[in-house]
Amino acid sequence: MSRRGRARTRRIGIGLGLALFVAWTLAPIVWALISSFLPLRALTSTPPDLAPGNFTLENYLGVLSADRDLIGGLRNSAIVASFTAVLALLIGSSAAYALARLRVPGGGKILMLILVTQMFPAMVIIIPLFIVLSRTGLTDSQVGLMIVYLSFVLPIVIWVLKGFFEAVPRELERAAAVDGASTMQVFRLVVLPISLPPLFATGVFAFIEAWNEFFFAVILTQSSAKTAPVVVAEFSGQYVSLYGQMVAAAAIASIPVIVLAIVFRRYILEGFVEGAVKG
Amino acid sequence: MTIDPGAVARPTGRSYLARRRRTGTLLVLPALAVLALILALPIAASLALSLMDADTADFRFGVFVGLDNYRTLFADPVFALALRNSIYWMVVEVAVVVVVALWFALLLNHPMGRWSVFRIILLVPWALAPVANAVLWKWIYNSSYGILNFLGTATGVLPDPVVWLGDPGLALNALLVAEIWKEIPFITLLLLAGLQNVPRILYRASRLDGAGPWQTFRFVTLPQLRTTILICIVLQSIWALKSFDLVYVLTRGGPANATTMLNFLAYRVSFQFGNLGLGAAVADILFFVMFLLALAYVRVFRPARAAERGVA
Repeated sequence: MSRRGRARTRRIGIGLGLALFVAWTLAPIVWALISSFLPLRALTSTPPDLAPGNFTLENYLGVLSADRDLIGGLRNSAIVASFTAVLALLIGSSAAYALARLRVPGGGKILMLILVTQMFPAMVIIIPLFIVLSRTGLTDSQVGLMIVYLSFVLPIVIWVLKGFFEAVPRELERAAAVDGASTMQVFRLVVLPISLPPLFATGVFAFIEAWNEFFFAVILTQSSAKTAPVVVAEFSGQYVSLYGQMVAAAAIASIPVIVLAIVFRRYILEGFVEGAVKG
Repeated sequence: MTIDPGAVARPTGRSYLARRRRTGTLLVLPALAVLALILALPIAASLALSLMDADTADFRFGVFVGLDNYRTLFADPVFALALRNSIYWMVVEVAVVVVVALWFALLLNHPMGRWSVFRIILLVPWALAPVANAVLWKWIYNSSYGILNFLGTATGVLPDPVVWLGDPGLALNALLVAEIWKEIPFITLLLLAGLQNVPRILYRASRLDGAGPWQTFRFVTLPQLRTTILICIVLQSIWALKSFDLVYVLTRGGPANATTMLNFLAYRVSFQFGNLGLGAAVADILFFVMFLLALAYVRVFRPARAAERGVA
């Protein structure tokens, strides 16, 4: 085969590979989205009746109607996830700055420890926490969930922010110190204000993680504090044959965080992905 | 901003550094205190709990029974099955995810694959809630109306509809496909980041030496990606052992415990059977395995970071 012929076959091969990649990654989601807009009789006919006239919002309306818990679940998820994210930023940002810049004694070890906590099975902490929360009456409460969620959100926030703070130019801090600012003032008045975009993006990342969490939520909530994933899981177990509504519920619970991930993709790709590989 | 005359005089002196260090310690302490309270303490308590006879009836730490819980476990065929399932799940998931993700990353790193939409596509399964993923596959695998059986029988690949989640021989693999589908994108992103760190000049040099695409991959890309691939393998192994949501929504460990893995077993024993001591023992065995994996991660990580510092 000629050199140009080989190059052309290669281009076709890569094009086919990319097409396969797109199809494999999107097919399940596209099918779920289509299903969520079809009435039950269209979904249960063989083959599925995809006539354009069939498309309807009835699954979404049905699943959002007051007798199902989804709205309450969405509200709980939004409250728990945003408070967890803000709390983690408040506690985590100062720690991350200190570990990035202030040569804290044992800082390297502390960082490794924080990284390793990410790898523990949630199961190992939930049993003792469950006992303590039951005895203090904090099961099935938003506050109880927030406390437990800090256990996985706080380490991520510290680790990611540390990477961002390391990129702040040292000259800025030095200039402020020469002007007589204390270390705390440098952090509060110089570093924090210029780090607002990464702080916000880290908060969004923490929000996504807390929103999607299921394991702790299903153990710690029974009724009033149920989060969206718990409601979606219960729904799919209870109304096993309401296929369209089941998928619509999953879509409603997922769309907010997928939109957030796409809007903040620059930070997710730069901060989190490269941070995991480079440290 | 108040002015401190001492700092103006010598901002780089020893006292300046000492003060920074002291402030640093103060800034780290609150986070460390919180983590000690909700992570370190519960882990210690869980280790203690596995040596006790405790249940959900009274929500308290119970009577010391030594290694009884561990003895019970090692004699239990369900535990042995859960251990086997966990190992199979981890090995297959890691192998398939890393190989496919590497292929996708190479495609996306090619000039034809640089379109930003491809990266957005990768974020969708990653950000999808695991529970939503489970529901989505529950519908795909539905034995009466699922798209998989429809396409399979329509094309003649399947002679009859298959009960994907009800067959002990199939259920675990059906769950694996759903899990692998969701996990590939993030590992692809990690490998893409690794590929972008490979110095361009190496590719130019290998082209000048007359290497073909396969040789370039084998002798330039793969050795350069070694650390990233190792990190992906260790991280994915840890995440594989944490899988819970799919099992909970799709099979609850069934049929006939075919999809019961250690993490789900610990949950079931603790919160459905109410035996907190025995559940803690299962969790602690899982913890031990994951701790070893975490150590491996740290060891892979350290040389990489040291090397980077050497360059910088």
